[in-house]
Amino acid sequence: MADVPVAGSLLVSPAPHIRGAGSSALMTWTVTLCLVPAAAWGVFLFGAPAAFVLLVAVGTALATELAVVLPFRGFTLGDGSAFLTGLIVGLLMPAGAPLHIPAAASAFGIVIVKQSFGGLGRNWMNPALAGVAFAHLSWGGALAKWVAPRGALPGTEALAPLEALRMVLAGHPAVRGSLLRVLADSGYPFSGIDGRVVGWINARLLAPLGGALPRGVFDLLVGNAAGRIGEVSVPLLLAGAAWLIARRIVRWQVPVSFVASFAVLAGVFGGLTEGRGWFAGGVFVQLFSGSLILCAFFAAPDPVTAPLSATGRYFYGAGLGVAAFFLRFYGSMDDGAPIAVILGNCFVPLIDRLVRSAGSGLGKAGAR
Amino acid sequence: MKHAEGFSKGLFRENPVAALLLGLCPAAAVTGRVIDALWMSAGFLAVLLLSSLCLSLLGALSPAAARDGGAGLSRGRWIGSLVITACLASCFDLLLRAFAPGASARLGIYAPLVAVNCIVLGRVELAAGGLSIGRSLRDAAGTGAGFAGALLLVSVVREALGAGTITLFPIGTFGGSLAVPLLAASPARAFVYATGGLLCLGYLAGASRLLSSERRRGESDRA
Repeated sequence: MADVPVAGSLLVSPAPHIRGAGSSALMTWTVTLCLVPAAAWGVFLFGAPAAFVLLVAVGTALATELAVVLPFRGFTLGDGSAFLTGLIVGLLMPAGAPLHIPAAASAFGIVIVKQSFGGLGRNWMNPALAGVAFAHLSWGGALAKWVAPRGALPGTEALAPLEALRMVLAGHPAVRGSLLRVLADSGYPFSGIDGRVVGWINARLLAPLGGALPRGVFDLLVGNAAGRIGEVSVPLLLAGAAWLIARRIVRWQVPVSFVASFAVLAGVFGGLTEGRGWFAGGVFVQLFSGSLILCAFFAAPDPVTAPLSATGRYFYGAGLGVAAFFLRFYGSMDDGAPIAVILGNCFVPLIDRLVRSAGSGLGKAGAR
Repeated sequence: MKHAEGFSKGLFRENPVAALLLGLCPAAAVTGRVIDALWMSAGFLAVLLLSSLCLSLLGALSPAAARDGGAGLSRGRWIGSLVITACLASCFDLLLRAFAPGASARLGIYAPLVAVNCIVLGRVELAAGGLSIGRSLRDAAGTGAGFAGALLLVSVVREALGAGTITLFPIGTFGGSLAVPLLAASPARAFVYATGGLLCLGYLAGASRLLSSERRRGESDRA
């Protein structure tokens, strides 16, 4: 971001003013690197189409950034922001998406959401998620077609677990039992490996205790299910996020309060919409399927579009969880997390205004 | 020169939509298809011209004592002016219903709402405030053309990107709709929704600001 020198020694630069963790370029490239394992898993699981989607999304983001910015602000690809935007756009697409969709989403994010407002540091909305929202508004039908993961039974129709659940519950309201069991009973094509692993655990470990795991636990846990390229492998996403939080590149307040408020709301009230009663929302399925983890750890905490103060970040994260809950359980989308984040982005200036830290050295008088 | 300026002012420098950000509701609502924007612009231009004509005639005919000393309009004159514009807007609405029911259904509430459109109301005040007939008509024509131009521009962009077509009216063998190559197969639907309308209007206003700031810089360089 451009620093404007004022009166010799003073520097005026746009927020965020964060110290530590190196330059903003280093932070951005580290975030990108921490997404690579999850991206690689997506490519492994869905094959070449996933690689093409990622390539097109990243390539378009880089090309449009270069084309739009080069005449005005010079070469900015080194800051890594355009690459990360393209990567997140690609990760939030299903593997079989027609290639003009990730291209349009990346271009929309870079040109309209980021550069129209003045480039990195001045974009008040997450460019990648706004591009994805634009794509969903424009080509919603094409983005609801999934690719079956590697090792799925041939001939089965690929369906992301959340979407499959939505259909099952709409057909049989008020069905009881855990959501995974409902899903398995509906004939959802969980993989053979899942059957063997869950069977082994049930037979050897849980049978003496009198319990049993439902089918699908293993598939969802390792991310062996249909879904968007980057969202399927929750463990790899969490591993990357843990590294970022340990390095203080991602502040933990946003993702933790986001996931916590969503999980509590989904767990307590999530079953009510389908007539399943209280405490029947199926937190495990809701968290391990869909893009909530990806958005919470890699998009929502983006320092440009998140509140500056720690207190503000709690409110922001909790608000995102509430929004994601309502969008997912009462909206028409199967996911809702990306929309929740860009909605939350709109409130960040307000949060920053309401939650201000005291001026340092002024004591109580400095608090406004 | 001066006459031309009275007209071109409304077209560019004081374009109601792009520069003054007036009339944004119809500009965002009926620009999803080019033909709707054309109908809206035609009705708007007609109402604006006719009401300006009627009101300046009324102003020229009424005794000087009724003109309120130039300090704004009296309540009676305001009500009279509103009755005239409302009449004309209702005529537009009824004519549209009679002769173009399809367009009438798509314009919906925005056709009768021309009566209380803020651009029209602003003109009413000007025209009824004692402007000469010629000037008032030039002014109205410029403003109406500026509104039409902005709507046409926005609607062409929105429909081409959002639906992959440009819908006009059928003439002879021409069916009335052009398909935009490449875009027609898989258009970006977001542009025909309200999102796209606000987005396009924002860029139009931005472009207008950019142009006017550059013109001002040019003028200060000359001075």
